[in-house]
Amino acid sequence: MSKYIIRRIIGLIPLLFGIILISFFLMKLAPGGPQAQFNQNPRVTEAQIDQWLKRWCLERESSPISVVREFSGWLGVYNCETESLLSEQGGLNFLPAALGGGTNGIIHGDLGLSIKAGRPVTDMIIERVPATLILTTTALIIWVTLAVILGVIAAVKRYSFFDQALTFFSYVFYSLPTFWLGLMFIYLFSVVLRIFPAQGILTPREWSHFNTPNFWIEFGERPLAAILDIGHHMVLPVTVLVLVSIAADSRFVRASMLETLNQDYVRTAKAKGLPKQRVYMKHAFRNAMLPVVTNVGLELPFLFSGAIVTETIFSWQGMGLLFITGVNDRDYFILMGLILVTSSLVVMFNLLADIAYAIVDPRIRYD
Amino acid sequence: MSDPIRTVDSFDTAAVMTDSVGLPEDEFVEVNLETLNQWQLAWRRFKRHKLAMVGAGVLIVMVAVAIFGTILWPYDPTDIKAISRPGGDPPTLSPIENLFGTDFGGRSVLQLVVVGARISVAVGFFTSLIATTIGILVGATAGYFGGRVDNMLMRFVDLMLAIPFLFVILVAARFFGGGDPVVLILIFGLLSWPGLARLVRALYLSLRESEFVQAARAVGVSDARITFRHILPNAMGPIVVSSTLILANAIVLEAFVSFLNFGIRATDVSWGNALANSKGTLLTGNWWWPFFPGMILAMTVIAVNFLGDGLRDALDPRSKET
Repeated sequence: MSKYIIRRIIGLIPLLFGIILISFFLMKLAPGGPQAQFNQNPRVTEAQIDQWLKRWCLERESSPISVVREFSGWLGVYNCETESLLSEQGGLNFLPAALGGGTNGIIHGDLGLSIKAGRPVTDMIIERVPATLILTTTALIIWVTLAVILGVIAAVKRYSFFDQALTFFSYVFYSLPTFWLGLMFIYLFSVVLRIFPAQGILTPREWSHFNTPNFWIEFGERPLAAILDIGHHMVLPVTVLVLVSIAADSRFVRASMLETLNQDYVRTAKAKGLPKQRVYMKHAFRNAMLPVVTNVGLELPFLFSGAIVTETIFSWQGMGLLFITGVNDRDYFILMGLILVTSSLVVMFNLLADIAYAIVDPRIRYD
Repeated sequence: MSDPIRTVDSFDTAAVMTDSVGLPEDEFVEVNLETLNQWQLAWRRFKRHKLAMVGAGVLIVMVAVAIFGTILWPYDPTDIKAISRPGGDPPTLSPIENLFGTDFGGRSVLQLVVVGARISVAVGFFTSLIATTIGILVGATAGYFGGRVDNMLMRFVDLMLAIPFLFVILVAARFFGGGDPVVLILIFGLLSWPGLARLVRALYLSLRESEFVQAARAVGVSDARITFRHILPNAMGPIVVSSTLILANAIVLEAFVSFLNFGIRATDVSWGNALANSKGTLLTGNWWWPFFPGMILAMTVIAVNFLGDGLRDALDPRSKET
């Protein structure tokens, strides 16, 4: 078992490196280069652009050597200020700052500086995490619970009217474009009925921006009102997320439950004369949940990558919206940072899901 | 299929049954005993799936609209009428043209839907075509040859699957798209294949051990021929199902990317584009403009997904139980 885990972790290293490479070169291949962003701002002088370029080891005319330099600078191996592998302190740059290393590069948790906002990308991402987590965690809990309940009922009452209806609506909601559903919800519930707000996390007239120091002071004064307001804003985005995501999961639960119900031990349990309820819930359900747990594990990275579409439609200031703004502004460091962070999370959650599965299901072979 | 109609002798069930009804004993009865090939059996299974039949019908209509729509109903992007009320109903349009209402330029939304079908459906089809081709090539190579080739290709597939798909699509569409539908199709196609490649690999891994492949290998059939002539037809069921899903996804993806203004340029018309232009008007109550393009889009995608489900039943009957 531990051997298996170690081998899997070692296998992660090339994958993570590949992710770093891709997130870097995707931006590198983009026409115009990062400094193209400044063309639209007449107040930025040429000297300032040069200074900015130097900070990130960028050059106006990129050559293979400059790309390697830039990449190792972004990685944190190379120091752009001293133009060598050594940091200002004289130690090797990739070491932690306390051991004489530098502070630049992803090794040191520095994902660069947002071009538009002029702030460290790491801070910007961390700042957006709570908003995304509130939205996605709530949605995930609701849809997984509902998917399990609906899927199990559908499997137990196979080919019943309920099962058929669930299948039909699964396909319909699975196919609906999320952003269109969101728009229609906004029209129906915010424009016509006026019962739910269309956009944002909080009512702007009453509260400061979410997750700012001012907000937390106000939150301390009236915590219940704040939670209620957030909840009120969450109804529409969460409903949309649940509706479009529940379909795939309930199908999965149904399939897994059906497979378990066909097992010999379930037949034995029935033949022994155990009450149906007991056979379904004690014998079949627990085993049917094993693959479901793995599947949910694979969905967990979504908690961080956020619901890009939903966040865009409902102007939910989370990581997904940060990404969209980044794409719009061609804000390279935000894009590289977000792709890197979310992909690494995907990879790690995949590993955790596999390990969890291997632990709970002893039938899994490790080779 | 060579001999669909056979004469049966008296000891055949059909003849025995006629006996009991009291027909003359020495009379030959002709019974239509059709031998069905693989595809006919699949078609029979497919026909039983009512929703899939409806889905196929809707898709055929959409393809027809995509091909002939613009020809029969030419669209002029510069023909913008002066209307006083955004999204209002100027009396210049016929009732049919006005079926779905008008946009801010007084243009028929129905026409936007008809004209937009071309790009949307084309993006779906060609993306699916490109992705399926690459997926089959990569998956077949990995699954058939195994070993180091397999390892390398699958690590690459892992990598592609680890990076959130939508992120890469959006970045690529923004930086390389330039509003051109062809470029968009290439981007979608070149990024949508990894899931399919993994599926094809799994199919090949199991099929290459089967007897018919061993037999082919024993008589000296080349690797390329075994891969494409012997194994591929047997793996086609799940592949077709999977490529219909890619088709459906690509249509939604085009709409979303265009909706964010990273996709099709504003002067072209696609369903996503029609939705994108209507975003702002929703809050002023002009629901029809975003509603109808989106509804047609949703209908098409639902149809494709039902079609995929029917194809799964027809071509991949073993998977039905789970």
